[in-house]
Amino acid sequence: MNDSITFLHSSDWQLGMMRRFLGPDGQARFAQARLDAIVRIGEVAKTTGAAFVVVTGDVFEHNQVERQTILRACEALKRIEVPVILLPGNHDALEPGSLWTSAQWTGHAPDHVTVLTGTEPFEVLPGVEIVGAPWRSRRPVSDPAAPGYEELAADGKTRILLAHGQLASLSGGLSDVPTINQAALEAAVAEGKVRYVGLGDRHSMIRVTDRIWYSGTQEVTAPEELEPGNVLAVTLDPANDTIAVEPIRVGAWHMVEHHAELDDEDSLTALEDWFAELPDKERTYVRLAARGSLPLPLLSRLDAMIDAQGEVFASVERWVKFWTVQPAPDAGDLDMLQLSGPARAAMEELRQALAGGDESAGAALTLMHRLARDAG
Amino acid sequence: MRLHELTLRNFRGVKDRTVALPADGTTVVIGDNEIGKSSLVEAFALVFELPDDSKSTRIRDIQPVGQDVGPEVIAEVSFGETRLRYLKRWLKNRTTELSVTGPNGRKKDWTGREAHNEAERLFAEHVDPVLWQTLMVNQGQSLVQPAPADAEPLIAAVNAESGTPVDGASMPLVLAVEQEYLRYWTKGGKPTGEYARSAQAVAAAQELATRAAKAMEEVAADVRKAERLADELDDLSVRLADHLREVEVLRERKRTTDEILLRRDSARDRAELARAKLDNHTRTRRERERLTAEVERLTEAEAELATLRAETETVARKAADAVREAEAVLADAVELKDQRRESVHEAEQLLSELTDRSELERLLGQQTELADVRARIATATSVLDGIRLDDDTVVALEDARARVVEARAALAAGVPEIDVRRLGAAAVELSGSGIDAGVPALPEQLGEGGSAQLLVSGELTVTVPGQLELTVRAGGEAATLRAALEEAVRRERDLLGRAGVRDLADAREMLRRSDTASAELQEARRTEKSLTAGGDPGERIALLSARLGIVPGAPEEEPEPEEAAPAAKPVEGVPGQMSLFEGLFDDLDEAIDEPEVDPAELLAAVAGDGARVEAAQQALEDARAELALAERLVADASFTATQARKAADADRAEAAQIRARSELAAERLAAATDALEAARAEMSDEAAEATEAEALTEVEALLEELTAVQEQADAVGADEVAGLLDDALAVAARLQTERDTLRDSLRTTEGRLEQSGRDGLATRLDTAELELASVRDVWEALNRRAEAAFRVHETLGRHRAEAQSRYSDPLQSRIEALGRGVYGPSFKVTLDEDLAVSERELDGVRLSVDALSTGAREQLAIITRLAISHLVSTGEGSVPVIFDDALGWSDKGRLRDMGALLGRAGDHGQVIILTCMPERYEYVPRATFIRLEA
Repeated sequence: MNDSITFLHSSDWQLGMMRRFLGPDGQARFAQARLDAIVRIGEVAKTTGAAFVVVTGDVFEHNQVERQTILRACEALKRIEVPVILLPGNHDALEPGSLWTSAQWTGHAPDHVTVLTGTEPFEVLPGVEIVGAPWRSRRPVSDPAAPGYEELAADGKTRILLAHGQLASLSGGLSDVPTINQAALEAAVAEGKVRYVGLGDRHSMIRVTDRIWYSGTQEVTAPEELEPGNVLAVTLDPANDTIAVEPIRVGAWHMVEHHAELDDEDSLTALEDWFAELPDKERTYVRLAARGSLPLPLLSRLDAMIDAQGEVFASVERWVKFWTVQPAPDAGDLDMLQLSGPARAAMEELRQALAGGDESAGAALTLMHRLARDAG
Repeated sequence: MRLHELTLRNFRGVKDRTVALPADGTTVVIGDNEIGKSSLVEAFALVFELPDDSKSTRIRDIQPVGQDVGPEVIAEVSFGETRLRYLKRWLKNRTTELSVTGPNGRKKDWTGREAHNEAERLFAEHVDPVLWQTLMVNQGQSLVQPAPADAEPLIAAVNAESGTPVDGASMPLVLAVEQEYLRYWTKGGKPTGEYARSAQAVAAAQELATRAAKAMEEVAADVRKAERLADELDDLSVRLADHLREVEVLRERKRTTDEILLRRDSARDRAELARAKLDNHTRTRRERERLTAEVERLTEAEAELATLRAETETVARKAADAVREAEAVLADAVELKDQRRESVHEAEQLLSELTDRSELERLLGQQTELADVRARIATATSVLDGIRLDDDTVVALEDARARVVEARAALAAGVPEIDVRRLGAAAVELSGSGIDAGVPALPEQLGEGGSAQLLVSGELTVTVPGQLELTVRAGGEAATLRAALEEAVRRERDLLGRAGVRDLADAREMLRRSDTASAELQEARRTEKSLTAGGDPGERIALLSARLGIVPGAPEEEPEPEEAAPAAKPVEGVPGQMSLFEGLFDDLDEAIDEPEVDPAELLAAVAGDGARVEAAQQALEDARAELALAERLVADASFTATQARKAADADRAEAAQIRARSELAAERLAAATDALEAARAEMSDEAAEATEAEALTEVEALLEELTAVQEQADAVGADEVAGLLDDALAVAARLQTERDTLRDSLRTTEGRLEQSGRDGLATRLDTAELELASVRDVWEALNRRAEAAFRVHETLGRHRAEAQSRYSDPLQSRIEALGRGVYGPSFKVTLDEDLAVSERELDGVRLSVDALSTGAREQLAIITRLAISHLVSTGEGSVPVIFDDALGWSDKGRLRDMGALLGRAGDHGQVIILTCMPERYEYVPRATFIRLEA
């Protein structure tokens, strides 16, 4: 067949994933959002005229996710009206006890959904084959993509390779499992064995080459992810041997990391403004890092601000590792409280301890400041 | 505050009294008991505390008993430059009036509730309640040590004195810090409330998360196990498949070899069948040969036995003849012996008679005339002489009789008893010897219907003339028994003969007669003796004559020994009826019945017998010799007969044995012959041999075929293939079992994993960890706050303690300064955190306040109050020091010193002393004394 075909590439749905920085309510909404994104993939398939959808691994967070997660995933998949091909990844490997072979999956999976359980080509459309290398264990001993294409011949068929794993170039050599041989992969593409390689595992969207892509997760899972929340609409034109890959956003959530320098009232105001400008606050998680020192009244204001924003946003988390804001009480603060005698002496002692590097004195000082102010 | 004037109306026992007090200095108010000193203090407290409409019992208590009047108090006090006149009446005509004159001299009035409120406000504003309570000593309270730490005027005074600014905001902060601290910590410093619960929640969440993590570790372990099992299963399946292919190869090979083995088995079966047939034929032939031989052998044996039988029967017959002959000889010998014995007997009798005759002859020469007596004696004597027996003889006869009966009974038991009965008309004749029919003689013929019952110890012949002759011979012991019987009969007869009686009954009769004759003789002899007084030969003569049977005048007959033998000859074998003695008795009777004989005649009759005695003796000896000879003959004949009988018995037994053997041999021969003939009828001897030869040929042919097939089987190793296949199948079975075991194990593990999946263990773990993180966040926040509260509490507490210590210094030095005036320069005190005196040191000796004497304690309490009053006297918050009765425990010396102190105290403030004992205070310098009158 020489007509061009369009399909959607997604990965790392991680259904059943939980984020500890979200409260119970946020957690529930986050889980639903990941399902909603799948429904939106179905809508994108309609609008783009995609013939099928491939998901390159980690559809589920774990093989032992609760039944509810599986059944809801099946419901979401029913909303995609074209064939869906799922590849088991490292999180949901086709290992013993895999959910793919469980009655919970097999009993509820929609008919148009195919799980790639072997390396033999699957003809999704006449002339179009899907090949893949499902993970059979969480600890593969060799290139997890190779079994998907190494037996193939360049016979003019339109083949799409689905694989899951890290590229050595992207893992920074830190991967503790074998990585995908990028050169071999590119060679296979160059030889025409496969026309497109859909990769999974990285949650960021990454174009490796024109024909080798990480789609990234359909819904963001961490602030450090790059361009998450997209599905790739891939159009292959065998006749002209061209390819077009278009990222289309399906995610609704944001996970933002912010570093603030807090030294005075202006910096505090700037942070307030930054919060104010963020969109979709109820679907946004903010991981806040801050450093600097603030007078006690401003410190109280900062606490109040973060508390209030925590109510507005899905979650605002102080990034403990990078949180070094210290109270900086000056004599004027204390004078304002009109303290005398032992109270004044106690507060002074705490102030000096803080100045001397005793961080726990900061909290005590802030507390005493508040108590004195309220008592006054 | 200064107290200027106090008026009480209708107040307890006081009808109406006004006491004016100097604003400065020490005032001693003196009054007897019950005069109303304490009521002054009470009135002052009530006027500021309780409104005029108060229902308090304290108001009821002050109304004079039994009087319907309203208690009334008017107090005039000043707070700095502000002066108050305050009137209050309770219960009746309730009234409150307040007049305040300010520093500028302006006066302002309030009434009612407003007046009360304003007065209360002014009092609270200017009078520190702690200080007021501290410096007013009610009756009986003078020993209580004051603890003025919280008295604000004192703190202010101390601060002022020590140069430290007043900590005006400290108390609310201290309370707030305490409250914050107690939110998280117990007083003992342990986590409490929400903080403690949070820690518990963290521990619980941690526990859950740990458990969930453990479950997931188990899942991971199961996954690894399942993977390993799956690998092993794959490996084993490959090995099994390889092996099963080997099994197939062996099976194919076995199919080929099985065909050869089948043929071999067939050949073997057929060879075995043929061999069985051959064996059968051989057996038939050999049986035929055996039968033929058997018939021959039996024929020979039968002939030999027939000959032998004839011989032995002849011998037996001859032996029987010999027995008969021997017995005949024996019988003759016995007869001879019996005759000889009789001869001896007779000879003995003859000799005796002759001796008697000789004696008679000799006696006759002496025979005298003796008359009737002698005749009687002779008669009796002759009777007695005729009787040759006595008791012993009779006993011997009875014994002999018993032996005869026994021998007869033995004979009857030991010989055949023959019953012969004539049944028809034909005559039956009986003959034989040694037969005891129980009748005197054997009947020669049996009459019609007649019968005979016979004991046969010899031979009995029953003849039916022309029809039958039956001979019965007694064998064995019969002859012996008969001889025994005869011997017994002879012995009896001998005894009877010697006794001269016919039978035992006769002997017994004779014995009776003898007894009678003896009696008669004895009687006659007594008579003769009396007649003769001497011997009389006549008696003997008579006796002898009688014995000899000599009848005077009758010719004496020569004794004939042969003829003297009994006339009746007993039937052979039957005891004869002896009639010998009958004749004798008859003779004797005759002789006794004879009339008296003439001795002369007697002498004539016996004379000349001397020579005959000698001859008789000779005859007796001869007869005895003859008897001995005959007895020897009997013994010899008896021995010969016994030997002959034994030989005859042996021969007869042998003949019977041989006869039986011969008959058996004949039977066996007949059977063998029948069998042989039957066999031959079925198959001739020639046919049997031919069949066997044919079978042998067939067997040989089949063995050849078998050998050929076996060689073929050996060539392809047919016999080993089955073993190899069995081994291979066993290995395959073992591999299959191993595979099944692995498969089961894998299924079990997978089942567990499936369940883990159903349980959503990963979600559970994530949820648990999420919960843990959540409660830990809460705890961490609480912990931060708790730690901060702890830090603040600790820091502030420490600084307060230090400040407290600083406050105490001025008070302590003031107390010590006052005290030295009383106790001397070594006086020191220690204050506790409430600024109360806890210890006193005097002359280097430290004592706790509780350890001091009552007087010393009271003095110390007064000194402390005066010191406080002194300290606060400079500020606006000073209040009067009031002692309601004190110094009750001090000696005179101390009263002097304390009086001086009290007097000096008046220099710095208002000191009011109420007492009923004015002498205690006579040393107070410059004091104003006010005496209350009743």
